[in-house]
Amino acid sequence: MEDKRHTSREYERELQEIRDGLLYLGALTERALERGAQALLERDSVLAREIVRDDEQIDRLDVDLEEKCIRLLALRQPAARDLRFITTAIKITGHLERIGDMAANIAEKVLILNDLPQIKPYVDLPRMVEISRGMIRKSLDAMVREDVELAKEVGEEDAVIDQLNDQVFRELLTFMMEDPRKIQVCLYIMQISKSLERIADHAEGIADMVIYMVTGTSIRHKPASAEQG
Amino acid sequence: MKIRLFYKFVIAFLAIGVAAVMVAGFLIERELKTDLTIRIGEEMAAGAQIIALMPAGEIAGHAGDLAERTRARLTLIDAAGRVTADSELGDGETDGHLNRSEIQEARLRGIGKAVRYSHTLKKEMLYVAIPLREGAQTMGYIRLSRPLADINRTINATGEAVFDILLGTVIVSFLIAMLFAVKMLSPIGRLAAFTAKVRMGDVSGALRIESKDEIGQLSDNINEIVTTLQEKIRTADAEKRKLESLFSGMSEGVMVLDAENRIESVNQGMEGMTGRPHGEVIGKTLLEAFRNIELHDALERFRERKETVAEEIGLGDDRSVIMDVTISAVQGEGGGERKTMLVFHDVTRLKKLERIRTDFVANVTHEIRTPLTAIIGFAETLQQGIFENRETPRKFLRTIRENAERLNRLVDDLLTLSGLELGEAKLHLEEVRIEEALDQVLAIVGARAGEKGLTIRKEIAGELPLILVDRDRLAQILINILDNAIKFTPVGGTIAITTSPGEEGCLTVRIADTGAGIPKGEIPRLGERFYRADKMRSREMGGTGLGLSIVKHLMMAHGGRVLIDSALGHGTTVSLYFPIVPESK
Repeated sequence: MEDKRHTSREYERELQEIRDGLLYLGALTERALERGAQALLERDSVLAREIVRDDEQIDRLDVDLEEKCIRLLALRQPAARDLRFITTAIKITGHLERIGDMAANIAEKVLILNDLPQIKPYVDLPRMVEISRGMIRKSLDAMVREDVELAKEVGEEDAVIDQLNDQVFRELLTFMMEDPRKIQVCLYIMQISKSLERIADHAEGIADMVIYMVTGTSIRHKPASAEQG
Repeated sequence: MKIRLFYKFVIAFLAIGVAAVMVAGFLIERELKTDLTIRIGEEMAAGAQIIALMPAGEIAGHAGDLAERTRARLTLIDAAGRVTADSELGDGETDGHLNRSEIQEARLRGIGKAVRYSHTLKKEMLYVAIPLREGAQTMGYIRLSRPLADINRTINATGEAVFDILLGTVIVSFLIAMLFAVKMLSPIGRLAAFTAKVRMGDVSGALRIESKDEIGQLSDNINEIVTTLQEKIRTADAEKRKLESLFSGMSEGVMVLDAENRIESVNQGMEGMTGRPHGEVIGKTLLEAFRNIELHDALERFRERKETVAEEIGLGDDRSVIMDVTISAVQGEGGGERKTMLVFHDVTRLKKLERIRTDFVANVTHEIRTPLTAIIGFAETLQQGIFENRETPRKFLRTIRENAERLNRLVDDLLTLSGLELGEAKLHLEEVRIEEALDQVLAIVGARAGEKGLTIRKEIAGELPLILVDRDRLAQILINILDNAIKFTPVGGTIAITTSPGEEGCLTVRIADTGAGIPKGEIPRLGERFYRADKMRSREMGGTGLGLSIVKHLMMAHGGRVLIDSALGHGTTVSLYFPIVPESK
């Protein structure tokens, strides 16, 4: 009896470790994104290099976390809710790792952009950063609070990001048509915009996993009316 | 409890009463019976002896009469045992009575008694016989007999009386005992109720039992215990409240993590710093509650080193709140559980001040170096002394002079400012009409505004109160503000000066321009020394970067204040609030 309780306590601790690990990873990616935006806006190459370097830590944590999940699956054979949590955790860490990669990508582009002349002050990109950061934060908050409504909000915001991405694309297109010398800069900015759009997608993916984790029903690959709006 | 005790008393009293009545009744009845039988026997013997004194022949004749007198049956028996006369039977029976035990006894001892069943009368009878003697010769026997039922009736009557008395006594004593029981049990019941109340944790009130016996003593003791308890609880409560108010009232944020690293408690300071209510964070891990990398890393470091860790971290979504966090171990009660305490100290303001100070030093150096570089550079060129014409060195000298003047202005401003900040500035307060002061200042700056083609509109409300200011300082303030307005308003713009008696004993002067305006976010920093909203442009215009700072401090020294309202592209309005002369009568 004593031994069993001890085991279940140990098990609880391991589950918490995974939960905390996800949150830590989430905070790291959120910070990477925030710093990426800062590096972009302030043309800070030192900061950009730091982000690229820090991505290694994110990758390492991702691997660690996944291993922990798999070990828990193999050794404890969790059932029902816990099983759902661990399988979702594996998916969420995947999403987070990808977000980290995207942030590193952005930082790499910033490094190149900083050597090129700035063609215009950024208006939409900071907004995209703000929204996508908010999406990551909300999806992780939703995970902590097991708040399905909050998770659903994340999905709705993805539409805004898509619109902004399109807007940036159109705007840059006019710049490129006007002056071919700006094409290089514009292409890099476009890639950044695309990365942000991908980050938002991953944030939405996390939110979907949270909904699945809490309710047990998957909402992925279902046409949501919000996405068209 | 009380009921049961009461019934126990009732049953015990009843048992004792019944037993007492039964034993007493039995003993008394037995005693009475023996006593009465003896007495009646003696009575009958005395009767018989009296009868025996009569002449023998007459006894038989008067048998009925004698029997009635002695309330007994009288039988005369001759020496041969034949019945010669009987008061109830006549002369019928004749069988030998000599062998009857009472006769035998009478013959031998002079008197005989017996209790027998009489076959003649079919009754239990008491017989008493004595011999009739004439000289030494026994002539016969006189026998008196009475039915035992008679005796028993007497005994029963007496017994009943005795029983009644006994019963009455028992009932009365029972009632007294009950009264006593009720009186004794009621305080016990109250004791029980009171102690039960105390056991449930209610220690208010006291027992009121006026009694000098053990129960009184018991209640006094209980009261004493309860009072001590109340005192202890009060002390503990006060101690707890003191600690609690200390804990919640301190400006530092305090957070305690349990052995599982979950947040166990936070104080009000912590709630205020993070904006997260108590209920939202309790029971969560640090990451769940705050998801702050620096905070988590600090905790990890603390766990690795197992010693107090002090770090500076940024809290909040944009990490704008800078905290000094100290993480240390606390021993839980009993020493078993290891808890962690995090103390947060908000150093945002300190950090800001620190930044202002470093900025200031950097700015001063920069401001001083710029004119100095120019002076040194031009002086060197002059020293080399190769000029194509005479105009060039003159131009150089003018530049040197301008820069030296700028340095001088800077030093003057810095001195003014430090004097103001140290509170050393002496104000010669006098009653001033704002209109007059404005006119004087406009005479000075008006020309420059005219050069730039700016329109200055002045609207003075009819009757304005006098203000209490230092006339020269007021001019300095107004010149500074108007200078800024003229500098930053593009050609053809308007500067509007309006005055109005404000609220709260103030007079308001508003100077609004149609210039470029200042971004909202920059407004709070405008009073900082050397802070320039538009770094490139304003230095070109020759300001020292101290003007607004001086205005702010001068206004404060006068007991007034400055308010700047602006939006990019919409001009800037500076409102000056001057204290007015208090109405003396």
